[in-house]
Amino acid sequence: MDTTVKPQYDNGVVKYLTVGAITFLVLGTFLGTYAAAELAWPALNLDIAEITFARLRVMHTNTVIFAFGGMTLMATAFYIVQRTNGVRLWSNGMAWVTAILFTIGLLATVVTISLGITTGKEYHEQEWPLAIAIAFVWTLYTLNFVMTIASRDKETHPNVYVANWFFLSMMIMITYLYVVNGLAIPVSLFRSYSLFSGVQDAMIQWWWGHNAVGFFLTAGFLGIMYYFVPKQSQRPIYSYRLSVIHFWALTFGYVWLGAHHLQYTALPDWTGSLGAVISLAMIIPSWGGALNGMLTLSGAWDRLRTDYILRFLIISLAFYAMSTFEGPVMAAKTVNALSHYTDWTVGHVHSGALGWVAMVSIGALYHMVMKLWNTEMYSMKLINFHFWLATIGTVFYVVAMWVSGIMQGLMWRAYDEYGTLAYSFVESVAAMHPYYVMRAVGGFLFFSGAAVMLYNVVMTIRTANARQQAGATANA
Amino acid sequence: MAHNNPWPDEGNTGHIWDDDLRELDNPPPLWWMLSFYAGFIMIVFYALYYPTIPLPGSYTKGVAGWTAMEEYHEDYKILNDWREKKFAGQEEQLAALSVEEILQNDELKTYAVKTSKVLFGDYCAACHGSGGQGNPNFPVLADDDWLYGGKVSTIKTTITNGRQGNMPARGMMGNLTDQEIEQVADYVIALSQGRGEDTSVAAGKGVFAKGMCVACHGPKGKPLALTGAANLTDSIWRFSGERDQVIKTITYGVNVKKNGELTADTREAVMPSFKGRLPNADVNIKRLAVYVHSLGGGQ
Amino acid sequence: MANRPKNFEDRLEQNIFGLFLFTALLVSIAGIVEIVPLFYIQETMDYTEKTDEYGNVKNEKFPELVWERTFTQDANGKLVSDKALYKQDSHGNWVIADWKAGDGVRPYTPLELAGRDIYLREGCYICHSQMIRPFRDERERYGHFSLATESMYDHPMQWGSKRTGPDLARVGGKYSDVWHVMHLMRPQNVVPESVMPSYKWLADNKVSASFFGTKRDMAKRLTVMRKLGVPYTDEEIANADAAIEGHTEMDAIVAYLQVLGTMVTLDDSKVYRE
Ligand code: HEC
Ligand code: HEC
Ligand code: HEC
Ligand code: HEM
Ligand code: HEM
Ligand SMILES: [Ca+2]
Ligand SMILES: [Ca+2]
Ligand SMILES: [Cu+2]
Repeated sequence: MDTTVKPQYDNGVVKYLTVGAITFLVLGTFLGTYAAAELAWPALNLDIAEITFARLRVMHTNTVIFAFGGMTLMATAFYIVQRTNGVRLWSNGMAWVTAILFTIGLLATVVTISLGITTGKEYHEQEWPLAIAIAFVWTLYTLNFVMTIASRDKETHPNVYVANWFFLSMMIMITYLYVVNGLAIPVSLFRSYSLFSGVQDAMIQWWWGHNAVGFFLTAGFLGIMYYFVPKQSQRPIYSYRLSVIHFWALTFGYVWLGAHHLQYTALPDWTGSLGAVISLAMIIPSWGGALNGMLTLSGAWDRLRTDYILRFLIISLAFYAMSTFEGPVMAAKTVNALSHYTDWTVGHVHSGALGWVAMVSIGALYHMVMKLWNTEMYSMKLINFHFWLATIGTVFYVVAMWVSGIMQGLMWRAYDEYGTLAYSFVESVAAMHPYYVMRAVGGFLFFSGAAVMLYNVVMTIRTANARQQAGATANA
Repeated sequence: MAHNNPWPDEGNTGHIWDDDLRELDNPPPLWWMLSFYAGFIMIVFYALYYPTIPLPGSYTKGVAGWTAMEEYHEDYKILNDWREKKFAGQEEQLAALSVEEILQNDELKTYAVKTSKVLFGDYCAACHGSGGQGNPNFPVLADDDWLYGGKVSTIKTTITNGRQGNMPARGMMGNLTDQEIEQVADYVIALSQGRGEDTSVAAGKGVFAKGMCVACHGPKGKPLALTGAANLTDSIWRFSGERDQVIKTITYGVNVKKNGELTADTREAVMPSFKGRLPNADVNIKRLAVYVHSLGGGQ
Repeated sequence: MANRPKNFEDRLEQNIFGLFLFTALLVSIAGIVEIVPLFYIQETMDYTEKTDEYGNVKNEKFPELVWERTFTQDANGKLVSDKALYKQDSHGNWVIADWKAGDGVRPYTPLELAGRDIYLREGCYICHSQMIRPFRDERERYGHFSLATESMYDHPMQWGSKRTGPDLARVGGKYSDVWHVMHLMRPQNVVPESVMPSYKWLADNKVSASFFGTKRDMAKRLTVMRKLGVPYTDEEIANADAAIEGHTEMDAIVAYLQVLGTMVTLDDSKVYRE
């Protein structure tokens, strides 16, 4: 058979999602930076209900996780599934419907949250009409993905590539979690009451909450890693067997971890312990992914000096390894006793979210822009600049939160020489101020990097389109 | 294989996707595999050690007998034992002696003050300010102007049971006219500035008697007994010394209730009761009473 | 030529539907093991049990934890109870009826429930936890550690995951109503170091109004809560809208804050949890 003829892929929807993801990255990090600034300078709340810290923060998490993260996952899944299976999308029309509805759903989420329409469940704030719409869109996405793989030529593509496994497990798990955690009875168009209450609700909430992290922000992005790292470095994946073991270990293992968010609460001891021990055991499977990526790059180290996109990918793996070490440590009972409720959690979140999720996405998005528009980037220098803004911003953010988080934890439990509490709560609030300022600065750097990226990408696309048009007229 | 392998010698699995995506057949690094297995072993031991596994009616308790409760009680015991060792004497005395007696014992008083700082910070400062300097609507504790009296036993009673001062709206008979209220307000403001005898406010002085303000605030604006009425002769304002605010206080009174509910514009003055609220309340209330007394204005 | 699968794993890699099913099965295990037992192991809820379809509950071991009342259907098929949650006093105010602080966990009154909805709307749970852990420092700062029973009527729970502000599980009665109002109007006026935003619009909005001019239908809300197992009588549901009439959102949120932690009086010397 002839492998020289390249199949034509459905690129339009991927292009749309790519630009959408970058736009939401800019928006989401802006909201995050503003929220950070509100904690540093509360006057910035401006007494406007729609942008008070708590609402803005939920707008931030939804924009970065679901809008930016979700669109990145959709863009890359549609991109990868076609290329690794050598076929077009099962339904290009359905992919467009998915992409457009998802955009509308997420914009509606951000607007409704700012208006105060929320379920009050962390990471699942969409009220029921939106939640149903999003679950529906997600099903379309999954269906299209699975059917595309099913429609591959089994002769040329007998085995499904590892990146697709990760995407698949992410899609399945997210559907499960989102639907069960969202079960509720509506009282009006804008309000519903959760089916569950108290402890059971807490466990179900964090079963979803943790796996929004474990599958949405990890498994899915590992799928991205498994395609873009070998592609960008032009090296084969280091070990197929490592991929297999760590895939199954993560898929089976991650689901157990939710209870580590509820240790020492009114959740029974056994549940917390179970969540904690499996968390500790997850270091190694998680590192399996980081290791496979890094070893794939070994031998291409010299290219790091010139290939800025590769830099994003490698640093994301380093942060991934770090946050999947930090997470299990925080799951250990004694550490969690200190870290829970503090900024340390927020620091951990962002070493994962900025260092891993955003960095690997940025690398993949740059790569896709060049391939999809079949061009070089408008400016390589700006990519390098973006890289430094993102890295320094992340380090500022994470270090500030480590210090403030550990300080908070220690201040709250500190006893003085008389055996009475050493600090009142507001003293701990006052002590956080410098770190909240430092975080806002770090966030601003990271946000600036994202803005630079958007500019670079827009200029790239304009140049590419102009060139194409010029080519078209020249040929005519 | 259905397709040819352009990289026959690199040790890949033979699967190739998207032109050049391939995987090597390397084994995972040994240290990784060993740690991976070690993870399973750890899970087994941990699950034996701690309560971990749900069963049909209960769950495994773990050989260590660890529970969060046990840990809590042990931690508390460590703290209490340590305090016992160092401060058993002081704590026992705080429990046994009356607040007056504590006040007389310098060493004990210092101890009570030192151990009250955060208690005051977490439970009282939101109303009275972190140093007792007060807040608008909440009295200053760091001065010698008292509503109920600066005796340490009175302070203790206040903290234990809480307080709710009362002042009727529009004078005791409720019949002061708007004009009279303005006059008495001017008089009260003059009192606070030491100008009580000014002829310009003489009209107000009459209203002060007519409205029976004297009953609580005393004939000269200084309460005879400390029963919650504010001293009007000093420049310390419980609510506010702005003319319109003083008028508001006199018009609507303090904690005035109608049909079991506070009236719309009345001043609210509620000091909560702390006897059921503070940890170890018996001793901690004494401690705080001594602390408040020492803030500067104790009598 | 056929690519015969070498083993089970290889078979899954070649059959996307097989991979789908196997993955779906595999990821279900953890949820079943960790969540299902929480619905049946008795100690989970500090021995508080639901006794019938009306939502009646009892706790023989620690009767102080729950407010026990008996529900029955009267001759007209209406759900009635031996004790009332709230009633109208002689002045026309809606007040708590047969319950007093410390009598045990009870359903929220309509005003409190409305306040709770506003607490969610404003996102207070983003900065405030409502879950005191069994640590000596938390006991001294916030009070007795929280029990599962205390949030059994909370759909959804508000345990929180971050303490930018202090825990609120037992804030009820700690301050006066007027303090809460002043604090919510401008936190920095009473606590200069605070980073909490001002919520002054709460004082202007009527609690009976919901989004976009719709009505906050408390009868509907209580009905839904009852479907979820929170016991309200028919009369309580019927009066629910009247009970919030005339109040502002500020009144409602303060009513909610003031009830937090006051339902049960816990005894430090008792072992509620093993
Ligand atoms: C909700 C706010 C609030 C809190 C919390 C509070 N207070 Fe008060 N306190 C008041 C108010 C209001 C008054 C005045 C009562 C009145 O006018 O009847 C008062 C009065 C007092 C008085 C009497 C002052 C006088 O001039 O006679 C003392 C003493 C006092 N408080 C001590 C404390 C201590 C100690 C604590 C902490 C354990 C505390 N308060 C917590 C609001 C509060
Ligand atoms: C039944 C007792 C009572 C009577 C009668 C009474 N007051 Fe008062 N007054 C109080 C109390 C108690 C307070 C302080 C409330 C608090 O601090 O909790 C107060 C406070 C005030 C204040 C506020 C002082 C400040 O520092 O902000 C003014 C002004 C005042 N009274 C004026 C009057 C006038 C004028 C009348 C007569 C028309 C009057 N009062 C009658 C009990 C009374
Ligand atoms: C930006 C974070 C933030 C948000 C959002 C927030 N708070 Fe706070 N809250 C704080 C901080 C910090 C404190 C401690 C300082 C103070 O008392 O203001 C606090 C204190 C409190 C206290 C006093 C607790 C105590 O024991 O002293 C109450 C009650 C409270 N908040 C209620 C609320 C309610 C109700 C909402 C939502 C309408 C809310 N808060 C939203 C940060 C926040
Ligand atoms: C094996 C890997 C990981 C483990 C075991 C783990 C464990 C933990 C623990 C123990 C907490 C704190 C819970 C608490 O005390 O409230 C936490 C919080 C969190 N982690 Fe991780 N983590 C891991 C990886 C990651 C990664 C890669 C991300 C990436 C984005 C991430 C995102 C988060 C988020 C968003 C929270 C905050 C949840 C909240 O709102 O409270 N985690 N994690
Ligand atoms: C410019 C970059 C960013 C800034 C300045 C920023 C800022 C913030 C701030 C201020 C908070 C609230 C923390 C608190 O309550 O104290 C927050 C929460 C959060 N952010 Fe970000 N953020 C940024 C980027 C991101 C990205 C890219 C992601 C995800 C992909 C992310 C995910 C989250 C999550 C999950 C939380 C909730 C954490 C928790 O509940 O513990 N953030 N962020
Ligand atoms: Ca004073
Ligand atoms: Ca959180
Ligand atoms: Cu987690």
